[in-house]
Amino acid sequence: MTGVRGTAHDLAEFRAEVRGWCREHIPADWRRAQTGVPEEEFVAFQKEWFQELRRAGFAVPHWPREWGGGMPVAEQIILYQELAAHDAPRLVLAFVAIHHAAATLLAAGTDEQRRRHLPAILDGEIWAQGFSEPGAGSDLAALSTTARRQDDGYVVNGQKVWASGAAHADWCLLLARTDPGAPKRRGISYFLLDMSTPGIDVRPIRQATGESHFCEIFLDDVVIPRTCLVGRENDGWRVAQETLGAERGMTMLELAERLGNAGFRWLLETCARPGPGGARPVDDALVADRLAGFETELTALRALCRDLVERHDAGTPGPADASVVKLFYSELLQRMTGFGAEIAGPAAHAELRKPLSSGWESGAWALDFIGSWEWTIPGGTSEIQRTIIGERGLGLPREPRGGR
Amino acid sequence: MNIDLSEEAAEYGRQAVRAFEAAGGDDLVRQAEREPKRRAALVGPVLDELGALDLDPRGDAAELEAAAALCRAAGYFAVPFPVAERLSRPAGADGLLVVDGARPAAAVAGLDLSWTAVTLDGRRCDAAARAPEGPPRTSAFVTGLDLRPAGAGGECARDLALGLVLPCWTLLGMLDRAIDLTREHVLLREQFGQALARFQGVRFQLTEAEVERSGAEALAKYALWSVQDHRGEAADDALALRLAAVEAADVVFRVAHQLHGAFGFCDEAFLSWLSRYGQPLRRLPLGPAGTRDRLTRSLGRRGLTGPFGEARERAAR
Repeated sequence: MTGVRGTAHDLAEFRAEVRGWCREHIPADWRRAQTGVPEEEFVAFQKEWFQELRRAGFAVPHWPREWGGGMPVAEQIILYQELAAHDAPRLVLAFVAIHHAAATLLAAGTDEQRRRHLPAILDGEIWAQGFSEPGAGSDLAALSTTARRQDDGYVVNGQKVWASGAAHADWCLLLARTDPGAPKRRGISYFLLDMSTPGIDVRPIRQATGESHFCEIFLDDVVIPRTCLVGRENDGWRVAQETLGAERGMTMLELAERLGNAGFRWLLETCARPGPGGARPVDDALVADRLAGFETELTALRALCRDLVERHDAGTPGPADASVVKLFYSELLQRMTGFGAEIAGPAAHAELRKPLSSGWESGAWALDFIGSWEWTIPGGTSEIQRTIIGERGLGLPREPRGGR
Repeated sequence: MNIDLSEEAAEYGRQAVRAFEAAGGDDLVRQAEREPKRRAALVGPVLDELGALDLDPRGDAAELEAAAALCRAAGYFAVPFPVAERLSRPAGADGLLVVDGARPAAAVAGLDLSWTAVTLDGRRCDAAARAPEGPPRTSAFVTGLDLRPAGAGGECARDLALGLVLPCWTLLGMLDRAIDLTREHVLLREQFGQALARFQGVRFQLTEAEVERSGAEALAKYALWSVQDHRGEAADDALALRLAAVEAADVVFRVAHQLHGAFGFCDEAFLSWLSRYGQPLRRLPLGPAGTRDRLTRSLGRRGLTGPFGEARERAAR
């Protein structure tokens, strides 16, 4: 399935293959079946879906061939377009593992670390990310969790926050300060943390929606063996920068395709539903105008994403391309879900369950709207993205800073 | 024309803030969510202490201003009780609700009170609250209403104006609070070695929100004056205020949440409560699009009279 193809004919054939696969393998009623299920069922469904994709060679197409990937970018684009068009479940639980953890191991891990974890990830090992702290959000380098050398390892103390899915994680990517005396970016090391180690306390954070998707992780004298250090000691900031900056274009392309397919379709359906007075919102010129605006923006977003992955593949990415895409997607998602909540009216506020395993748009508009802040805040807030675009993209002078 | 609240009304508002604070402040809504049956008991004594139900906003101009100040104070703590709706009651009912006739609902679940409702097209009804479908955590105390047409009589236009204006003062109190909370947060929260408030991108967002809030405040005062002055266009002014207030709320809460970061969506942060319990005020009787549509149809090509309308008409003659 992952042979080298390139001609238009080959790609058309591949698209037909993926379409056939989607029709056969995507559970027809997963949205209904996955709405309001208990956590354990969500976890089981996610793991099973991951294995289904893996059997087809679709789980980690972006990994190198020797580890089970190797799909050409042109085919990956088709794969994600078709998965979105057929409204496939999203890989939520495996996300950190197949993207951040894998990128870290591939870029900076030892052979032993790769052999230990990459096959395990394919078998279902779940990862979380322990980067943010109460005092270190946008300013990640201000983190204060410490890792002290002891015997043949480190003893870690501190607190991490906003770790998505940490309650289910087997392993965690951890940044901790190994040299408190060094300038703040130079004293940080990158670790792989086994979540079953004694001294780890994971507490879910109750969110406005009533969900507890994020967790706090408390680390109390947690011992990490030296073999779990990634890269050199005190070189963790560079490792994190490299892997955080690893190719995210394909995941953005997938999300943009989902927003443009099912997301926009639901918005149209919501607007076509007669309101309490009998009239359909879509017959209102103002509503139609907004919809046309969204469709234009979606088309632009999808083109931007495609351009991003192709330029990355060709080795000609612009310095702020990824930030442009993230900012555009985040704010478009927020406007679209906000509009959905407005059109759906007060009833949308009483809709408090959405299908787990869905993307950031589910048609439960009030929940989707609240969820959209998970895009404008984490992973570099919209303010940070604007700063990056200004400085790296437009070459403007750096903002005056405090004690960096 | 002086649209500022009298010093007495402003002082009454300050007393109300202190009284709500003494009764639990931010904890009132948290307690009411845990024990929805107790919400009247939680808030009732404070209203009694303030003599709130002795106010006569329909009959007395000064007391109308005091009522507005009280609503604003209640909004500041997201007080879990329909204060504005109680204060605007007509004779013979415990409270007044302005509703969308096609889908009548209000945040009055679980209260043993008799309600008069007036629809946006000016029909007066008796309203009975249904049993709430969900807990307050998800419903914010909103429940459907069964309407029964009430006999003619009463002053529907005045009901409509008063019933729209006072809840906007509650919403204004929520916007005041959202701005205060965000200001405190960006002054306190440091990243990159300095308070967030030092970043111009942060300052500009907060000032944009404050400009929206203060615009809504000016219109709230104007619409209150219009009701007070028994002006023929008071219902239009009230609807215009409502549109401005819900639009301002969109901007203020968007900025407040963005600048609070992830923390703002957690129960630890009062912003999260304010944002949730502000939803009924922002969505009922109609959200921004419905309100805009209603206002446009009501005004047609005539436009609002506005503070200088009469002078303009005189000049045209």
